[in-house]
Amino acid sequence: MAACVHETIAEKTVVILDLHTHSIKSDDGRAKVENYCKWIRSREIPIDGFVLTEHRQFDVESDYSTLVKSSGLCILKGSEVETEYGHVLVFGVTEALMLAYHFSSIGLPLASVLESWEQHNAIAVPCHPGRKRVGMQANIEKLGVPAGVRIVETLNGGSRRGEDEITQQMAAELGYLGIGGSDSHIVSHIGRCATRFPGDISNEHELVEALRAEEFAAISMRQ
Amino acid sequence: MTVSTIQDVEFGEELPAFKPDTSLENVRIFVAAAGWGAARFTDHEAARKEGLPGALVPGIMSQGFLAAMIHQWASDARIVKIDTVFRAPVMVDQPHYITGIVTDINAEDSYVEIDLTVSNEAGETRVFGTATVNLA
Repeated sequence: MAACVHETIAEKTVVILDLHTHSIKSDDGRAKVENYCKWIRSREIPIDGFVLTEHRQFDVESDYSTLVKSSGLCILKGSEVETEYGHVLVFGVTEALMLAYHFSSIGLPLASVLESWEQHNAIAVPCHPGRKRVGMQANIEKLGVPAGVRIVETLNGGSRRGEDEITQQMAAELGYLGIGGSDSHIVSHIGRCATRFPGDISNEHELVEALRAEEFAAISMRQ
Repeated sequence: MTVSTIQDVEFGEELPAFKPDTSLENVRIFVAAAGWGAARFTDHEAARKEGLPGALVPGIMSQGFLAAMIHQWASDARIVKIDTVFRAPVMVDQPHYITGIVTDINAEDSYVEIDLTVSNEAGETRVFGTATVNLA
């Protein structure tokens, strides 16, 4: 994995990553990763990289190292899995984690995901929590507040009117931290929302560490 | 600007804005032409009785709008594929907007890939997808 391109503001290194994107590897994804890179550079979208969070899978086979080198962008991999509380982003997926869980399942137990994935040095983050059916807030009404959630996606580039507001209210009430991601499925939607971190992030392990450090901020670049 | 050949196309180019006619009258004409009889497309009240928020624009009509937008931009283009993901219903009698952006150009084979989005007045994406278009 090549190092990310960083921006230095007042002697402090900052890295901005879109933490929620899909490529043609996802069943509803229509974006080629190389076109994401081309789009980000040609449109000068102010992000340093992105995380591919393909639906119900971890994409082991794709190697983006050449693209990382040519674009100067940081391209990381995660996953978006499905639990009884809705969809959840996972960062820091390891081989052991893949053996322990069926990523393709549409009913993973969130409590177990949060607890055991932490043991595998991964972080699980409920995404678009304000969305009907597939968001955590709708399921809290049925199932109660889940234990162990620390971070949720408070800014989602695909949110409909009011969904992010529902999430932000829930996060404020329950003391959750927030990340941002575009939830892009086509090229031109990448970078609508992202997450700003202090310091360097060059690989999935460093991303997990940065999330654990809890010094990030969700940002929106929607027009 | 309209285009005729692949040389006219630029990466990142936005197709001219397109506002589809989603009026009940137009949808009724389309449904009749398509030989469909479902009231969920042609009658708001009947659609509400089915638990829908109102009458829906048929998916193939939305795809037709997308094709119309592409041909408004490049009248000689051959549309090879329109690949759509329907995220939320396109509602009859509500304003919608269609955008298209060129996100890939294969100059060698004269193919262009276009990101497509159908949004409502709130800016919510109802349909997204891509089109593959062949230009001379």
